[in-house]
Amino acid sequence: MADAAQSGGGGTRAAGPRTAPRHGGAPFARLFGATTGPVGLISALVVLILVFSVLNPRFASVENLQNVLFQVSVPLILVVGATLVIQMGSIDLSVEGIMGAAGMAWILLSPNTRLAIDLGVWAWAVGLGVGLGLGLLTGLIYAKLKVPSFVVSLGTWYVGLGIAILLYGNSSLPSLTSDALERWPTALTLGLPNSFWLAVAVLAAGVLISNHTRFGRGLMAIGNNEPIARGSGMPVDLYKVAAFAIAGLLCGLAGILATMQLGSGSTDIGFGQLFIVIPAAVIGGTALSGGEGGMMRSTLGVFLLIILNNGLVLAGVDPDYQSGVFGLLLLVAIIAVAWPGRDRLKVAK
Amino acid sequence: MTDVPPVLKLTEISRTFGKIKAVDSVSLEIRKGEVIGLTGENGAGKTTLLKILSGIERPDEGRMEINGQVANFRRPTDALKAGIGIVHQEQSLFTNLTVAENIEHQNIDRSGLGRFGIQNWGRINRSAQEVLDKIGVRLDPRARVGDLSFVDRQMVEIARAVSVDPDMAGTPLVILDEPTAVLEQAEVDVLEREIRKLREFASVIFVSHRLDEVLRICDRVLVMRHGALTSDRSTEGVTKDELFRAMVDETPRLSKRDRAAPPQPGPAAIAVSGLTREGKYRDVSFSVRPGEIVALVGTNGSGRGSLARTLFGAETSDSGTIEVAGTRVGGWTIPRAVAAGLAYVPAERKVEGMIGGYPGTRNIALAHPEAARSGPFLRHAKMARIAQDWFDRLGVSPNDIRQPLGQFSGGNQQKVVLAKWLNNPDLKVLILDHPLRGLDVGVSQAVNREIRAACDTGTAVVLIPDTIEEALEMADEILVLKDGEVTARHDMRTADGLAVQEIVAEMI
Repeated sequence: MADAAQSGGGGTRAAGPRTAPRHGGAPFARLFGATTGPVGLISALVVLILVFSVLNPRFASVENLQNVLFQVSVPLILVVGATLVIQMGSIDLSVEGIMGAAGMAWILLSPNTRLAIDLGVWAWAVGLGVGLGLGLLTGLIYAKLKVPSFVVSLGTWYVGLGIAILLYGNSSLPSLTSDALERWPTALTLGLPNSFWLAVAVLAAGVLISNHTRFGRGLMAIGNNEPIARGSGMPVDLYKVAAFAIAGLLCGLAGILATMQLGSGSTDIGFGQLFIVIPAAVIGGTALSGGEGGMMRSTLGVFLLIILNNGLVLAGVDPDYQSGVFGLLLLVAIIAVAWPGRDRLKVAK
Repeated sequence: MTDVPPVLKLTEISRTFGKIKAVDSVSLEIRKGEVIGLTGENGAGKTTLLKILSGIERPDEGRMEINGQVANFRRPTDALKAGIGIVHQEQSLFTNLTVAENIEHQNIDRSGLGRFGIQNWGRINRSAQEVLDKIGVRLDPRARVGDLSFVDRQMVEIARAVSVDPDMAGTPLVILDEPTAVLEQAEVDVLEREIRKLREFASVIFVSHRLDEVLRICDRVLVMRHGALTSDRSTEGVTKDELFRAMVDETPRLSKRDRAAPPQPGPAAIAVSGLTREGKYRDVSFSVRPGEIVALVGTNGSGRGSLARTLFGAETSDSGTIEVAGTRVGGWTIPRAVAAGLAYVPAERKVEGMIGGYPGTRNIALAHPEAARSGPFLRHAKMARIAQDWFDRLGVSPNDIRQPLGQFSGGNQQKVVLAKWLNNPDLKVLILDHPLRGLDVGVSQAVNREIRAACDTGTAVVLIPDTIEEALEMADEILVLKDGEVTARHDMRTADGLAVQEIVAEMI
């Protein structure tokens, strides 16, 4: 597989006929956190881009590329948190609720048409704090009270949504009044939208955490075998709470960014994001059972889904059909990705 | 050897659970470089003793000294720091992490391997490489453990056990808890070589049910029974029978199958012809008559496991035919196989053979619920009666049909898995993949007794044995597979004095 990697590391033992170790040593595969490089994913992405470019030449334009990167930003920030959580074998469904609460808290404390309060940078602190708090809540209930994260995070989803609705009240829609804030997400730096740069920074931090820290590798260990992780003295509960706290914080950040992109507050600012983020992680090879996948692979998954969405629009698919077609293509993509891994579902001998 | 304190010295160590003395006043000494065998039946107290040594349990009484210093373990990491490393019966590695991470993850706090929670991959890999070099194992520290073979993973476990602290003054003690239970002969040889290397700088406790191995590998053998040490002897000059007597209360009956019974007339219970599955086995033909036991021997890569699964409809074949009771079958699936009276006891008992959260009653009713059914409904009282009968007959302990099966010991679980299939009056073919894996002498005999009893009532048996001795003891016919092809057949009714070495030669 990665022959170059063997020479440096002492090679392999030539023990039995069954000894055929494969190596995850190639830097490329290593970055993607898997034994095989995500060749299938990348080729699927290339095929999609080619097909959409033929269907509509505008697809390959610089403007559309910038548009795609703009759209990718929010789910990309979300998928970093989601990947951490899924790698340890849990799931966080609270994404959309936390986004709503954090986004709404942020806009009401920033220059807006509703409230004459401008806390400036403290508005960010409050927005992110809401996300962090809800994430901590999920994590603590999950880790300490041993309630499945699936159910807990469904609960925090609606707690978040409830907070957003209370903040929204029934008066007028809060819109941003600061031109600088409104323009920031779309403004270009080095040719790419600021939203995307923010997401790239988050992603870089995510890769660092996931691949190079005890915490990140610990999450992988928990996802692989929690009893052994506990038995070897790993602070499993702390790691679990921390993973959900980070996911909550990133949901908060994504909620603020999405609100900024829209230019006004909305309780369902996160609508549809869960449907992108979790399939993106799965398509990227992050098994829901935990212990597999990686940040970069989830990123490819996000790109695949956003490009699919964008391409369908540009290809002129009737808006009434778009959801259905998107769903069908999503199924095809998941089956295609799961196909090579189906042997792994069988019991290993 | 004069003033060097023993690596481990136990003085009258006891541990009581309720009324049961799990470990009863055990005293022993292990010196530097010694390889000690520890054996005894399941439940003899070996596991509790190991737990005390590894800091999981604390003794009620007694004194433990390691390298001359009194040890008082409060938690598993204390034992690790003192230089005691355990390789568990069931592998405890993170299969999704690298070899180096698995070896070093308990040491990463130590200066140099990581700082501020960030791992220094270069140092972790180098440090792991040093450990691997020390025990003479050639493995890439960056390889993913999930990609390694079973025996290589065991080497990683050994490396982890000795990685504890390179600056430690005393001699490390490596405990191997039934390392060979799931290994094939060639792999056992690799492990034996490894143990010989280990003794150059460590002492070893080797726990095994396989007395041949204990006698071959160890300098001294300890036998436990009912929590107490019943024998502590040098392996030189001691015989298997003496060890048997120290292990069990009754003298063992080394029972041979009565091979006088001629095969019954009529069609074979199951017959395969030219059966091939690409990459697994090629052109395999054989038949098993009612009441006959055919053993498939070979290494792990011989394809015999895949072949057994194919017979049961759990895997498909690419060409060739399967006949059951004289009728060729096509589109063979597990439900059809079960309906035709086939049964399969898998090697992976806990994963494929049973539902750990279910009690014995429901596990036994899994395969053939017909017996406990009235119309479309399951009758719980009937299910319980059937389960109780089997628990009594097989001597399942504890005799509690309502306790989740996952809480039973491996041997008792295997009895229940067997009962699940025997609970069928129309049992035609019993396929057994490593039925004695991890079982002690007593349970093994009980299981073998049931297999023979099934044969006597006309069931055909396909057996994948753990050892060749097991095949010689049980089988009417032995098929040797090598790289997916049948390389030899031995009819045990006519072959006399077939030696284990001959069969090994045909396997590899």
